[in-house]
Amino acid sequence: MARSNENHCGLNRLFAAAAAALLLSACAGWTPPADTPGAAPEEEVESRVREPARQDSAGVQVFPLQNPAVKELLADASAAETAGDYGQAAVLLERALRIQPRDPEILQNMAEVQLQVKDYEQALNFAVRSYDSGPRVGEICSRNWRTISVARERLDDANGAREAKERAAACMNTPPQSY
Amino acid sequence: MTKARKSSRDGRTRAAPPAGRGGGRQLGRQWGGRAWRLALLLGGVLLGLLVPWVAYLDHQVRTEFEGRKWDLPSRVFARSLDLYPGAPLSLKDLEVELRVSGYHRVDQAARPGQYRVSGSTAEIHRRPFEFPDAAEAAQRIEVRFAGPSIARVRDAQQGADLDLARLDPAEIASIYPLQKEDRTLVDIEQVPPLLVTGLQAVEDRHFKQHPGVDLSGIARAALANLKAGRAVQGGSTLTQQLVKNFFLTQDRTFIRKFNEALMALLLEYHYDKAEILEAYLNEVFLGQQGAYAVHGFGRASLFYFDQPLERLEPQQIALLIGVVRGPSYYNPRKHPQRARERRDQVLNMFAETGLLTAAEAQAARAAPLGVSETPRTHGSRYHAFIDLVRGQLAQVYREEDLRSEGLRIFTTLSPSEQEKAQAAVSDGLRALADRGLPATLQGALVLADVASGEVRALVGDRDGSRAGFNRALHARRQIGSVVKPLVYLLALEHEADYNLLTRIEDAPLTLRQADGTNWQPANYDGVSHGEVTLLEALTQSYNQATVRLGLNIGVNHLLERLRQLGVDAAVDAVPSVFLGAVELTPLEVTQIYQSLAAAGYSVPLRSVIAVQTAEGDELVRYPLRMLPQPRREAISVLNYALTQVVEQGTASRLPGLLGSDAIVAGKTGTTNDRRDSWFVGYTRSRIAVAWVGDDDNRPAGVTGSNAAMHIWAGLFRQLPLEPVDLRMPDGAFWLWVDPASGRLSAERCGGAVQLPYVEGSEPREASDCLAAAREQDKESIWRKLFGKKQ
Repeated sequence: MARSNENHCGLNRLFAAAAAALLLSACAGWTPPADTPGAAPEEEVESRVREPARQDSAGVQVFPLQNPAVKELLADASAAETAGDYGQAAVLLERALRIQPRDPEILQNMAEVQLQVKDYEQALNFAVRSYDSGPRVGEICSRNWRTISVARERLDDANGAREAKERAAACMNTPPQSY
Repeated sequence: MTKARKSSRDGRTRAAPPAGRGGGRQLGRQWGGRAWRLALLLGGVLLGLLVPWVAYLDHQVRTEFEGRKWDLPSRVFARSLDLYPGAPLSLKDLEVELRVSGYHRVDQAARPGQYRVSGSTAEIHRRPFEFPDAAEAAQRIEVRFAGPSIARVRDAQQGADLDLARLDPAEIASIYPLQKEDRTLVDIEQVPPLLVTGLQAVEDRHFKQHPGVDLSGIARAALANLKAGRAVQGGSTLTQQLVKNFFLTQDRTFIRKFNEALMALLLEYHYDKAEILEAYLNEVFLGQQGAYAVHGFGRASLFYFDQPLERLEPQQIALLIGVVRGPSYYNPRKHPQRARERRDQVLNMFAETGLLTAAEAQAARAAPLGVSETPRTHGSRYHAFIDLVRGQLAQVYREEDLRSEGLRIFTTLSPSEQEKAQAAVSDGLRALADRGLPATLQGALVLADVASGEVRALVGDRDGSRAGFNRALHARRQIGSVVKPLVYLLALEHEADYNLLTRIEDAPLTLRQADGTNWQPANYDGVSHGEVTLLEALTQSYNQATVRLGLNIGVNHLLERLRQLGVDAAVDAVPSVFLGAVELTPLEVTQIYQSLAAAGYSVPLRSVIAVQTAEGDELVRYPLRMLPQPRREAISVLNYALTQVVEQGTASRLPGLLGSDAIVAGKTGTTNDRRDSWFVGYTRSRIAVAWVGDDDNRPAGVTGSNAAMHIWAGLFRQLPLEPVDLRMPDGAFWLWVDPASGRLSAERCGGAVQLPYVEGSEPREASDCLAAAREQDKESIWRKLFGKKQ
C-alpha cells in the first residue's frame, strides 16, 4: 500500500534503461550473454570437461588442502549449480575467492559456471587463472584445458580449441607433484 | 463564501415585500416563508458549491494517499565480514567492526545487536539480516582468537563448531532525499502489537469506530480545554493527523480544520483502517537529526534507540508514542525529564486501557529512558569512499533515484581497514611535519584487494571528517618514477633482447624537444652509473638508463600499454613520459598496479558489489570479471624486480618501517622539485597507493621514500603481510645464474642467484662453475654405472 505499483513500474523502466546502458559500459554489471542456438552447455560441462578429466586422472587428484569455510561454500555452490541457479553459484564462488583468491579448484568451478551461462570469455579467463595457480598436472589441469578448449571453440577459435585439447591430454604425462 | 453571500442578497432583493401590502401577521408569515425559501436556496447553493469542493478534496487526498511516493534514502552497507577459523582478523579489529555496525558491548549478549568479550573470545548476538545472496536469522556466534587470526568459530546456542559465519554489514551511509527526510518503512503486520493498540489508546480511542472524525472526541477535548482554560487535549483522530502530516501545514484556521475533517472522512470512505494506520506509522514526524526530518516509527526507533522497531520494550514504545505529541518539546535527548513524564503518562494510559497489567506498567515506569547517547551518524567518516560509490553508481542511476528509491547498496568497504588507512594518513602527515616537512601537506591513500579489485579503504584528505576535495579520486598529479616499471615491463616483453641482467647504459644524454630546447635528464643523486643491469636500473630508479631504455622501446608503446592497463588520460608522446610526466589520480595508479600485483589478471576496481530495491530484490550486480593482460609472464618477472626495489633499492628502508621481512613489492615516485611523493606497494592480498604533496603543487620537499612510503608503512604495519606470490606462470621460469656474467649457474656455485626469466630470454651459456660441475656430474654418473657393473 505504502509504495504504489506505479513506483515499481517507474523503477522497472528506469532499470531497463539502466540495463541497456550497462551493456554499453565498460564497467558492466552481470548480464548473461545471448543464447547460442543448439548449444547445450549444461551437458557439455559434465560430458566435455568433468567426466573426461575424471577418466584421465584415474582417481589421482592433486588439490591443495582446503579451508573448511571454502569447502562449505564450494558445496553450497555446487548445490546451486545442480539446481540450475548459476547466479547464486557464482555469488558463492566469489565469496570463496575472497577467502582464497588463488585456489585452483574455486577458480575452475567458476570457469565451469561461466561456461554454463555461456560467458565463454570469462570461462576462458578463470580456467587460465586456475591453471596458472594450480598444480598444472592431474585432473584439475585436465579440467582447465578442457574448459579452455570448449570456450575457444565457442569463440570461433578452432585451432586454439584443438591445441587446448592436446594440452588436456598432456596433463597426465607428468606425474603429479606434491603441492 | 462570497458567492453564497451574494446569492442570499439576491434572494432578499427578490423577496422584498411590495410597498403597502399586508399587516404584521402577514408580514410574519411572509418572512417565515421567505426564510424557508432562503434556507432552501442557500442550502442548494452551498450544496452546489460543496459537491465540487468535496470532489476536489477527494481527488487531492486520494492522489496523495495512493500516489504517495515516499522518498526513501538509499542505504549504503560495508562489506559483510566472514568469520572462519584461520581468518586474518584480530579481536581488536572485530571490535572496531562491531562498533561501526552499532553493536553494543554488554556483560550478557542476550539480544541481537549485543556482544560480550571475555579473554580472547567474543560472543556476538548477530542480528538477522538480508544479505545480497540470502537472508540469515539472528544467531549467537562465539569467536575465539589466537593472536592476529581467528582460531575457532562456534554456534553459542548449540555448541557446534562453525566452518563459516558472517556479520551483518555496517550501514556506513545514507544518500538522502533532497527534501531531507529520513524514513525506514514498516509493514503494519510486522510492527509490535503494543504500538498499534497503544497508539490508539493514547491518540484516538475510537479509531476503530469513527468515520474519520470523532465528534465525541472533539466534545471531550473541548470540555477538557474549557476546564483547563487552555488547549490541553486535541480532538483530532489519527486519520486527521495523517491528513495534516500529508499536507504539512501549520495553518490552524477553521477552514483548514474543516478541510482536514472532510479529507479524513473521504480517506476513511476509500480505505480500510489498517491501510490508514500503516500510512500513519510511516508518515508521522517524530524528530530531527541535524538537517534530516525523522519520519515514521521505523526510523524513529533506530534514531532514538539504535534498535529496529520489532525489538523495542514496552517503555520504549510508550516513549515513541508520547513523542508524537511534540517531537521537539518531548525530545528525550534534550529534555529527558519532560520526555520521561510524558512516557510514564503514556504507560499509565496503557495500564488504564488494559494493554499492560499494573505490574508491567510499573516495571516499565521504573526502567530508564534507554535512549542511545547519540543517534548513529552516517557518512561522516566514509564520505571519501562514498564519493567513489556514487561515481560507480552514476553510470547506472540518476542522482534523484539514489536519493529517493530506498536502494540497498552493498559495497566493498572494510570499516576496520578504513580506520587504519585514515589514521595512517593523518598520523603520518603529523609525523612528517614534526620532522620538518610543511604542516600544510595533504595526502591520499587507496587500499584494494589484489585479486578481486575491491576497494577496501579510501582516504582523500588528511582530516577524515572533512568532506571536500577528494584527492584519491580527483588530484591529478605527475606520477614520476611510479611509471618506470612499465618501461621495464615492455623491455621484458622483448624476450630476444632483454632479461633482468641485460646491461644498459646509465650515462648523460641530450634530447631535442619539440619547442627546440634541449632536455638533459639527470639522476636523482646527480651521478651517472655507467653500465648497469635492468634490475639495478629499476631498483635504484636511474633516470638516464630508463630514458635510454624507453627510447629503444618507443614512447607510443608505453602509452599503448598504459591504455591497456586502464588509463584513459590524454598524454603527450614525449620522452619525459618515461620519467613520469603523466598526470594521474591515486585511484588510476591503483588500477595500473592492481594488474601487476594480480600477475596480469586485471580486474576493474570496484566499490559496489550489488544494488537491491528497498524490498530486497536484486537490481544489479557487479561480479568479479577478469580482463587478463597480454604477456603475463613478463608481468610476473617484473613483480620479482619490484620486490627487489624493497629488498635492495630505493625502498630498502621499508622493511625497517614495517618491522617485517615479509616479501613486499613496491615502487617509489618523486616528481620535479620534490612536489609529489608517491609510494605504490603490494603484498599477496593487498595493494595500496599513497600520495603526499601540496594542493597548490608547490615544491614540498617530499620524495617517494621520505613521505608517501612512511604513510604506506603506517597502514601496512597494521595489516597482515602475506608475501607476494612469485610463482611463475607458463612462459616464465626460475633459473640459477651468475649475476656478474649473466650466465647459467647452479645452486651450489658461489655467488649464484635465482632469477625469473621470460621463456626465450634465458642465457644459453654456462658459467665456469656450472661447466665444471657438469663435467663432474658426467664423471660421477660414469663412476656409478661402472661401479654397479662391478
